[in-house]
Amino acid sequence: MADREHLTVGIDPGSSAVKVAILRSRAGKDAKLLAQSVQRIRRRKVADVVTAGFEEACAAAGVKPKDFDYVASTGDGDAVGFRTGHFYSMTTHARGALFFDPTARAALDIGGLHARGLKMNEEGRVLGHRMTSQCASGSGQFLENIARYLGVPLDDVGELSKQSQSPEKVSSICAVLAETDVINMVARGISTSDILKGIHMSIGGRLVQLLRAVGAEGNVVITGGLSKDVGMVAAIEQLFAEEKTKKTKKQHAEVVIKTFPDGILAGAVGAALLGAYRYEQLEKKGRAAAVLAAQASV
Amino acid sequence: MTHHEAENTTNDPASAVLERARHFVDDLTLTEVVRWKKDHPGQLAVGYMPIYVPRPMLEGIGCLPVAMFGGGDQVDIIKGDSFYQSYICHIPRSTLELALNGSLDSLDGVLFPSICDVIRNLSGMWQMLFPEKYASYVDLPQNFDPELGGKFYVNDMARILRDLTARGAWKYDADKMRAAIAAENSRRAALKELDTLRVKEPFRVRASEAYLVARAGGLLEAAAHEKLVREFVAAAKQRAPRVYDNVRVLVRGSFCEQPPLGLIKTLEAAGCDIVDDDFQLGLRYIDGDIECGPSDDPMRAIATAFLRRGQATASRYIADEEKGAALVQSVRQVEAEGVIFAAASFCDPALLDQPMLEAALDRAKIPHTSLKFAENTGQFQVIREQAGAFSDAVKLWGSAA
Repeated sequence: MADREHLTVGIDPGSSAVKVAILRSRAGKDAKLLAQSVQRIRRRKVADVVTAGFEEACAAAGVKPKDFDYVASTGDGDAVGFRTGHFYSMTTHARGALFFDPTARAALDIGGLHARGLKMNEEGRVLGHRMTSQCASGSGQFLENIARYLGVPLDDVGELSKQSQSPEKVSSICAVLAETDVINMVARGISTSDILKGIHMSIGGRLVQLLRAVGAEGNVVITGGLSKDVGMVAAIEQLFAEEKTKKTKKQHAEVVIKTFPDGILAGAVGAALLGAYRYEQLEKKGRAAAVLAAQASV
Repeated sequence: MTHHEAENTTNDPASAVLERARHFVDDLTLTEVVRWKKDHPGQLAVGYMPIYVPRPMLEGIGCLPVAMFGGGDQVDIIKGDSFYQSYICHIPRSTLELALNGSLDSLDGVLFPSICDVIRNLSGMWQMLFPEKYASYVDLPQNFDPELGGKFYVNDMARILRDLTARGAWKYDADKMRAAIAAENSRRAALKELDTLRVKEPFRVRASEAYLVARAGGLLEAAAHEKLVREFVAAAKQRAPRVYDNVRVLVRGSFCEQPPLGLIKTLEAAGCDIVDDDFQLGLRYIDGDIECGPSDDPMRAIATAFLRRGQATASRYIADEEKGAALVQSVRQVEAEGVIFAAASFCDPALLDQPMLEAALDRAKIPHTSLKFAENTGQFQVIREQAGAFSDAVKLWGSAA
């Protein structure tokens, strides 16, 4: 256990929003989330959104930039010019998931551009991962596009999807084809709820495959922007439930989907906690002061 | 260029020299060679394939040595693919493409140093496709006894000098050759200064920038390149960059076919400070000066430098332990925390050496990871995942992912 507390911040510029989390911890343990900020980018310069989010979170926590032991970036780290160091998003989401549920050993990060299933140990060290490749049909951006075609505010997508009585099946292969499907559905008079549920089931099918591919079992924390989409979460839970009723030779491990109100912050939270851990390591090696002094002097 | 880079170049004292370096690197049609020949009527431009040829030997008889690194990610391969099977690396295809589309017409000849069977094969194709041009395979000695390999190498260089002189190069003159060696030594010293700055203050010089500055020398005489390198080093020292808590890594395996610049930047974006590498190794192949006093035989001096101080790389047939030990020593010297093997797909020399080098790193408990590329690789997501995971694992847990 670390002797002293560390004040760290994690900044996670993604493709749609910048997430900031300020935490106090002992080298990443006994952590407390002091403040947070989530700002949509909306055609602003990412670096400007980073600054705005950082200032907003600092004000909420009542701390000053110089108070931080480590400013950790994740996601698009280049947008955080004032960072101390950068951690890769896979590592930070694994650590962030553990912050929300210390018993979890897998996470599903569903972001704007892609989704990633990962398995980790109790330290948050990633043991295996799978992600959607260059295809857009497993991403939040795809869902945003569909919402825009349907004229539905993004925040309403989840609830509308849950109201579906008869979800309409869509192509789960390609976002381009799926978007064409949706246009056809609208023309055929399919209800918005049924279209959205169909989309959620389509994306959900790919996400379940990612989790199965990494060997996820037990509690699985959903992180990233789509963790707030209750329709998406319901679809994933339904797909796992349907697996149980199917008569197949393969026995799947039990999976329990866990979501948290601040799940979108997982990357930022993970970065802040890893920053605290790293800072303690640097201190032990006698290098922490050198890193910070070099930052100040150059 | 990302918006971050655009912002960073506004007040960067090194941006102008970097732009010039980039111009040389992107000059696949060799407009600079055409210009040089115009300024040096009657003199020859001689291309060479990686890794190493004795550039001062060429400069000493008035030739411009031109490094040929293929077409990178800038050339669509149409004709080149018809000469090679699918299991052959990319550089010979793009080099042939450039030659067949006339981009290399300004070259009066090409040297093909011994690196692998593919390059040997390319030299044969060249002789058939371009019979009017000079083309020669250069059998670099693999016996490092001065009385055997040394004499062999001196004789082979004499053969090339005779061939080129017959085609219009200057007649051999020992004083001119010594001057060329001195110019090469000065350029080498400038490159060493650049490397030292990277090791000491990697935040001042990114590997992707050092790459451009070093590679620009492939189209320049030694003196001109030295000037460019020193200008960049001086500018880099004026920078006021921020220091980041990155992982110091060493990259090995990219000595022949070059990685796209995007790949190097991807490694950097993953939190790696690349403090040492073997990109375009030829310009740095000799470790230190070619020692040649006023009364020494310059050709023997070049041969001796090659035998005694050539890098322990895949093109040298030396004991495995020696290469592994040299790699571990390099890691220690530059205080690297891990090694990334980045080899071109189907690069036999790099990929055959790799298991032995990995074993040496394992014995020394140095984390490492490996990836493959082609010079025209355009998607880096998988590499980003791998490099990011490796960088974090080394930074947080001191071991590979």
